[in-house]
Amino acid sequence: MIVPVGAVLGLSAVLFGIGVFGFLARRNIILMLISIEVMLNAVNLSLAGLSRHFDELRGQILALFVIAVAAAEVGVGLGLVIALNRNKPGAGVADLTKLKW
Amino acid sequence: MAAASVASALLAVTRKNPVHSMLWVLTLFLHVAGIFLLLGAEFLAAVQVIVYAGAILIFYIFVVMLLDLPDEEARPRFGKHWPLAAAVGLCFAALAWLVRAGTGVAPAATRLAAEGPPRGGLSAIGMALFGPFALPFEMASLLLLAAIVGAVVLARRRAAGP
Repeated sequence: MIVPVGAVLGLSAVLFGIGVFGFLARRNIILMLISIEVMLNAVNLSLAGLSRHFDELRGQILALFVIAVAAAEVGVGLGLVIALNRNKPGAGVADLTKLKW
Repeated sequence: MAAASVASALLAVTRKNPVHSMLWVLTLFLHVAGIFLLLGAEFLAAVQVIVYAGAILIFYIFVVMLLDLPDEEARPRFGKHWPLAAAVGLCFAALAWLVRAGTGVAPAATRLAAEGPPRGGLSAIGMALFGPFALPFEMASLLLLAAIVGAVVLARRRAAGP
């Protein structure tokens, strides 16, 4: 089955735009992290598509590393969310003004 | 499948209930895994299902249930600046689209890739991962170790001392 790589890149662009919108517009920290996951998925999609297009394996390897980094990011990010929530309940970014000078 | 993934991503960032949003993101991940399969990246599809849909999303759902966000429904789920955010997202998407049109990659379908034997199987990925990519692989393991330690330190309850 032949998938045109332009369609894959277009889908990746649309998904990345949705992720950016979600990250900027949501007020809940957990949903902002989810939007980051959507963006990382878009990048993985374009990597896999280009890897298929150039008949290279490096893109898929890079996508694997992106998944590993996403897992690390989720671990640290959710640890931060739990630590913040212990101090002050509520997961909205508007509540987090403690670092404001 | 592409339309379904776009629709589920849109629903994921706009739903009010965080749990519904998580479920839409789960469908998005599964559709992206299907697209990986279409692209001949079988191992990547398997990793997508197992790691993303299996591990990361379960982690998210655990935290959502743990935190028990009661006031999410009451408050406005978007900030005041959400039209600006939508504009920025549209700009990013348009930029990526333009770059796609400009590279000249778009018109040529994957002709040469369709002829050869399918790459992206488990053996090819494994040979590449432990051959020329051994050092980045070890660095990824080190990064995951650092993330584990960091998460435990962050989420640990403060000790009784000072």
